Amino acid sequence: MSVRKSIGSVARDWRQRDVKVVLSALVIAVATVAIIALFASQLQRTLITSASSFLAGDRQLEAEHGEPIPAEWRQEARSRGLGTARMVEFSTMLSGGNRFQLVSIKAVSDAYPLRGQVEVQKTADGERQQLESGPGPGEVWVNPRLMRLLELEVGDSVEVGNLTLTVSGLLLREPDGGFNMSALAPRVMMHADDVPATGVIQEGSRVEYVNLFAGDESALEGYYQWLQPRLGPSHEWESIRDGATLSDSLERAERFLLLGGSIAVLLASVAVAVASRQYAVGQRDTVALLKTLGLPGRHIGRMYLGRLLVWGIVGTLGGLLVALPVYAFLNNLMARVLEQDVPFTVDVPALAPALATAVVSLFAFAYPPIRRLRHVPAMRVLRSQPGESDGRAWVDIAIAVVAIFGLVWLYAREVMLVLSLIGGLVALLGILALLGWVMVMSLRRVKGGGNAWRLALVGLYRHRRSTLAQIAVFAMTLMLASTLILVRSSLLADWQAQLPEQTPNHFLINIAPDAVDEVESFWGERGQELDTLYPMVRGRLTEINGEPVRQVVSKDDSVNALNRELNLTWMDEMPEDNRVVEGAWRNDQQTDGVSVEAELASELGVEVGDVLGFTVGSETIAEPITSIRTVQWESMKPNFYMAFPPGGALEGLPATWITSFYLPPSQKSALNDFTRQFPTVSLLEVDHIIERIQQIVRQVTQAIEAILALILAASLVVMAAVVSATLQDRQREGALLRTLGGRQSLLVRSTMLEFGLAGLFAGILGVMAAETAVWALQYRMFGGDFRWHWQVALPIPLISAVVLAILGRWQLRPVLQVSPMLLLRRLE
Amino acid sequence: MTDLSSRYSQPSEVILTASNLTQRVDLGRDTLTILQGVTLEIKRGESVAIVGRSGSGKTTLLGLLAGLDTPTEGEVVLEGRAISRLSEDDRAAMRARRVGFVFQSFQLLPALTALENVMLPLELADFDDPAARARELLERVGLGDRLTHTPRQLSGGEQQRVAIARAFACEPVILFADEPTGNLDNQTGQEIQDLLMALNREQGTTLVMVSHDETLAARCQRRLTIEAGHLDTGQEVSA
Repeated sequence: MSVRKSIGSVARDWRQRDVKVVLSALVIAVATVAIIALFASQLQRTLITSASSFLAGDRQLEAEHGEPIPAEWRQEARSRGLGTARMVEFSTMLSGGNRFQLVSIKAVSDAYPLRGQVEVQKTADGERQQLESGPGPGEVWVNPRLMRLLELEVGDSVEVGNLTLTVSGLLLREPDGGFNMSALAPRVMMHADDVPATGVIQEGSRVEYVNLFAGDESALEGYYQWLQPRLGPSHEWESIRDGATLSDSLERAERFLLLGGSIAVLLASVAVAVASRQYAVGQRDTVALLKTLGLPGRHIGRMYLGRLLVWGIVGTLGGLLVALPVYAFLNNLMARVLEQDVPFTVDVPALAPALATAVVSLFAFAYPPIRRLRHVPAMRVLRSQPGESDGRAWVDIAIAVVAIFGLVWLYAREVMLVLSLIGGLVALLGILALLGWVMVMSLRRVKGGGNAWRLALVGLYRHRRSTLAQIAVFAMTLMLASTLILVRSSLLADWQAQLPEQTPNHFLINIAPDAVDEVESFWGERGQELDTLYPMVRGRLTEINGEPVRQVVSKDDSVNALNRELNLTWMDEMPEDNRVVEGAWRNDQQTDGVSVEAELASELGVEVGDVLGFTVGSETIAEPITSIRTVQWESMKPNFYMAFPPGGALEGLPATWITSFYLPPSQKSALNDFTRQFPTVSLLEVDHIIERIQQIVRQVTQAIEAILALILAASLVVMAAVVSATLQDRQREGALLRTLGGRQSLLVRSTMLEFGLAGLFAGILGVMAAETAVWALQYRMFGGDFRWHWQVALPIPLISAVVLAILGRWQLRPVLQVSPMLLLRRLE
Repeated sequence: MTDLSSRYSQPSEVILTASNLTQRVDLGRDTLTILQGVTLEIKRGESVAIVGRSGSGKTTLLGLLAGLDTPTEGEVVLEGRAISRLSEDDRAAMRARRVGFVFQSFQLLPALTALENVMLPLELADFDDPAARARELLERVGLGDRLTHTPRQLSGGEQQRVAIARAFACEPVILFADEPTGNLDNQTGQEIQDLLMALNREQGTTLVMVSHDETLAARCQRRLTIEAGHLDTGQEVSA
């Protein structure tokens, strides 16, 4: 079989209706999967870039209480094509207008920020500006609260150590103004080159040096490989994924995209499967004829293999040709929605599943029935009654299903995802078998007649074989689409629940024990209620079961918690959003033991019963682990790795108190009074971080909606492909009904009813199967609590009924336009 | 039901008239004339064969007479109603009650059993108990034991028997048959001919048939020859 012959036969084939259907399905399948794969990978990059502004770069290297980070390290990064920026953070006294104030300085180099923007106001009531740079040498930007505290104005001079600097703007927002406990005092931003002249930094000063890096993911990875052996114990390498605030949300968004992609793979293969199986069955007569003409079976097999191969190539190329412009369009759309540059990048590895899907489903579904035909003796083929060889169709389908789920597994690498989807499908087939039985039992007695309802019900019964097959495919399509809708809804609800209205947006830290009551009454007078106050003792984890922690935990596992002082606390009640996963929360009398956060516990490899040793100042304490609990890091409330019982080992050690509360924007000015009255209490304003997270969640939401829209469009295509599979039979039937005297309106109504009812059944089944799949997916893939979403699940059967009724009406169109005479002839 | 006695009361009554029937098909640049000025009359109870070569326009004429299509020019009057001027739905209603069809390729619905295929026109015409009537007819055509078989499980001859049962189901006043034996072997064709003629006699139906099967045409009372779209009036013979 030469290639030229194959191509020739494709050109000839194209005139056949079945072939058009197969090739169209292939093109659509490849295009859908490719669009979603490209878009999802683009989205992932964009979201991470967008989230990277939290670090003001893609990666951060911190040196706490250490030496400045060597310039060669930045040099190396630049030589690898990465962008770098430098920051120095320290606390010092700033004087201005004859007053002094402890401030938290962030000195930045010219390149800062590598990601995100700094928001400043250049005059007291000027416009807010988004800048991609910090202040120039000789200038400072200061926090508005500090301006009021010191009664400063733009243009005034302030002194930092030995250096006089000019206030050139109000610092409203910094991209990386993250949740940093050390940034307690009002923020002042200056240029990094001015730092030596201040003379503030001396041997033993508490300074944090930070380098920022941005660039290609692979270059960053390569750089880290180079850097890793050079890092000392005080160095900390951070990516946005390590930040607790957003990483969970991003991870779930990524999983959603993965699920979306897998569902696209499945939908696409259903479309190809339906079409190619139909083609294969239609080829029986041709194969029979070829056999009678004396062509050996293996030649026939090879001929069809060649043909399928050519189709695979043609369909794949066609699909890519469709996908690329659509992807470019979506890209454009995304850039507009996210209000940022989205480069047009084609992620070639992401395309692999698109191609594999097409070819695998083509071969898996079209080839087996054709291959089997060549084993049938020529005479039998000629006389064979269609349906005779259908006995092994289930084997074919089983093989194909295995092949396709193999594809999904290859694509997603998530056993749970595949199992959940298979579970949903098995449930679906079970209910379907039951429905088939019910249909046969209950509709058999319905009498047909000139009434559209009766004709429709009789139609459902009489076409039960093809109807059940169609319902199965529709239900599967709807199951996949509803799974995505359900996951999306709970994902969004989850995010909303994490940051509800009135999420605490201010922290009070460093409250002296004797000031606690005063602080509470200060805010009470202003109508603001503080959340729970927690004591905070700073200490290091030094021993596990009596052995030094550095020996127990290997250096390779970089456990951040070991590199710094931990905030230890004691508490009576566990915070509402924490959950004990091992052991038990203390009882009322218990004063020993410690509760450890679950992720840290697994990083340290400790379990309930292990004894942890801490160093607090000059004291050491050792307590057994009594419980391990999960913590909602995104909750914007004080969270603790280590919680001791009240009256235990921690009490009596020097502690300060911490709390959070919600302050509406209208009451921001109360903060000035507060800082004046409680100068030693540190105030952390995270309102802009919350705002930023909410903004990112909105962006992710829009992206998820876009993927969902694509999947729904693909579902429609699959349904149309399935309807078109029986198009010819249906049209013949319509023509005959008209010939026999059926009115057009009767035909239209009964067809729409029949399809609508099938759609309703399929919708109900699909939703039930989707709930099953989602139930299986919930904790493993997405965490969080899944609620039933009736408001989503209820309309789906109705929408499906309406869509199918419309499809039914659409396929009837030629039957109504042409005289029955012409139609009967055409269909002969 | 139709009063059978009225059918025989006026044996010479004209049931179907075609006057100056012309059918043209627009092919874009050209128009193809399939029928040109065909005029004819068919009397109640008559059996008429329309003969002619392939492509002569026989089937088109049959379709126009049966109201399956409308002529470009001219008029068809069935039982005093100008069907070529009726709306598609009115023609459908007329077909449901008054007209039966037998096709060369049987035109049975593959998803339906023999019984259901015969029930179809009865249901459309809102007959009482269509199943009983359909069973009766299938027994009459000798398929009483094949009621639940689908067309695929039936031979060609058996399929055409089902189609004939379906055609007579609604007791039509006129039956149109398009090459009813064209897809069958001689022996089977002969049996189908016998069945068709017998049922036609029993029910007193008017029969209009397109065929190039000489023996079948010869069994009709009259034959009309059509050539290149023209009715060859000279060759009209009455048996």
